[in-house]
Amino acid sequence: MSTDTTTLPVGRYAYDQVDRTFLSQRVAQFREQVARRVAGDLSEDEFKPLRLMNGLYLQLHAYMLRVAVPYGMMGSDQMRALAHIARTYDRDYGHFTTRQNMQFNWIRLEDTPDILELLARVDMHAIQTSGNCIRNVTCDEFAGAAADELLDPRIHAEILRQWSTLHPEFSFLPRKFKIAISGSPHDRVAARFHDIGLVARPGPQGRPVFDVFVGGGLGRTPIIGVKLRDNLPEEDLVAYLEAIVRVYNAYGRRDNMYKARIKILVQALGVEAFREKVDAEFALMNRADYRLDPAIVAGIRARFGIPPLEAPADADRTLAAARRTDPAFDRWVRTNTHPHRHEGFICAVISVKPDGGIPGDITADQMDLVADLADSHSFGEIRVTHMQNVVLGHVRKDQLHELWQKLVAARLATPNIGLVGDIIACPGLDYCALANARSIPIAQKLSARFANPELQERIGPLNINISGCINACGHHHAGHIGILGVDKRGQEFFQLTLGGSAGGDVAIGQILGPALPEDETVDAIARLIDTYLVLRHDNEQFLDTYRRLGAASFKDAVYAPA
Amino acid sequence: MDVRNNRRDETGASVITANRLLDGRIVWLSAQGWSELISHARVFGNSEIESAIKQASTAAAARTVVGIYGVQLDPDAAGITPLTVRERIRAFGPTVHPDFAPVETQDVH
Repeated sequence: MSTDTTTLPVGRYAYDQVDRTFLSQRVAQFREQVARRVAGDLSEDEFKPLRLMNGLYLQLHAYMLRVAVPYGMMGSDQMRALAHIARTYDRDYGHFTTRQNMQFNWIRLEDTPDILELLARVDMHAIQTSGNCIRNVTCDEFAGAAADELLDPRIHAEILRQWSTLHPEFSFLPRKFKIAISGSPHDRVAARFHDIGLVARPGPQGRPVFDVFVGGGLGRTPIIGVKLRDNLPEEDLVAYLEAIVRVYNAYGRRDNMYKARIKILVQALGVEAFREKVDAEFALMNRADYRLDPAIVAGIRARFGIPPLEAPADADRTLAAARRTDPAFDRWVRTNTHPHRHEGFICAVISVKPDGGIPGDITADQMDLVADLADSHSFGEIRVTHMQNVVLGHVRKDQLHELWQKLVAARLATPNIGLVGDIIACPGLDYCALANARSIPIAQKLSARFANPELQERIGPLNINISGCINACGHHHAGHIGILGVDKRGQEFFQLTLGGSAGGDVAIGQILGPALPEDETVDAIARLIDTYLVLRHDNEQFLDTYRRLGAASFKDAVYAPA
Repeated sequence: MDVRNNRRDETGASVITANRLLDGRIVWLSAQGWSELISHARVFGNSEIESAIKQASTAAAARTVVGIYGVQLDPDAAGITPLTVRERIRAFGPTVHPDFAPVETQDVH
């Protein structure tokens, strides 16, 4: 394995032969398990945990395969493999999830070993995308590129991936366990809505330190995570997290799956008692076994490809000139880009949410196009966001207009990032076996209703999150406007929450009032947004108006007679 | 089994459903076996549905399907139509993709 980072795949960890042999053996193992199930040698009860260990669910209409995208980073070769799977084994599309993974909704059990083999050929798999284990570690979609970044979180996300993958102690936790890591002072990973949230920054002598949040989460019992400690030194990162998960594994409830998450344990013990248990476990550990020496971290970092960031001196002026001559492009740059740490570059966000479209759905042809554009404009690197969009992290500013024109032609240039059209929605009752109501049609109707880009910009930053059930895969509690599907004697109703936020001003949305019938929900939300436009102060954002006025004004608008 | 899937009135009629093992597709118990179309489904009175589910679960053909349960029908709807939104989506396909609705075939197994 070369350690010349300029020859490695950009932005992601390069596998070696040990990794590839492991994946190959794993696929062969699952192929045999599928054969035994089909032959009747394994019952469904025996087989179910085996298929879930390989990311294969049985959903409403078919098997669903959830493919891991570690911390949301992948290469163009991997995206093309996903496109091939969508085209060959699914119905020509895939779906990006809020955990930076990709799901396929129409998979056949019989085909799954072949699909996993295809994934393994491009260093991908579906391990730990399900089950009561440590799931895919998520991180900032602008990692290693953002101008405001203090520390690249991918290196430590990869260390945590290696630590948690097939960890013998943590393969059968009380429930699933989610970790997110940010290296920016602006929380773009919802750190305090995770089982463990890590915020990294340089400490003494430039060595990384971490603020550790624990016990956050959404779902049936939404809770904002509490800070467990400040300034955790890098060398103790793995040991301290191991201590936390050990305490959870030992004390987390297993008698009631709804009370089995670490957030319930932290609340039940109280944060002080929980911290004491973690500290006691930490003190007992042989920390030398877990110490992250600088050389180990450097070794991991050396297996990430580094892009050669060289741009013409006039790249900025070229971009400015294009913005002046093309108002539609100018609007897209305003909404769909993020400042890069290198002045000649910019991060481009590809909206996978066309007006009236299904949030996060992407066709096989679009996947191939994104792969091509990543090769031509971003060193072959692609990022999946927890907002169900895609990022090209390193685009030369003088080439951004050309990139945008190609995106326009593929219906991938909707200028709505962070605006009302950028709706997060779970698959809902159209696909999910757990859901009570459909999420996607509400998202489609809302994004069609507010399709006008000028109106969206006038409304300003507004996050709408839709979940089809209390499990909150659409993170409705964290939405400025949250929409929760509920079942009333087999019919769909929707409950609204207002005031949630996943950012630095983290908050859990509050229920506004009784749930609305499906056919009244979109009109009610439109009235709510109209009310905000009337009541807001100059340039005041929705969340600030809500916080200033409280729920009453909005309640009147939502529950007014039609 | 999720309680929603077995919710039914004392009176009324139901059909029996499952997912096919090999591809996960939704199937309905017909007079000849498991069919992809609910229009082929055999209709049972609710008073006899529990014993019919039990019989279907122990039949040899049950090895080819997963998760057998009963689905209450809407007495006011035309044709064989489930009462709940969830089961209507299972029967007629995702509402956001009409092109993915089950297609008419004569396949029964």
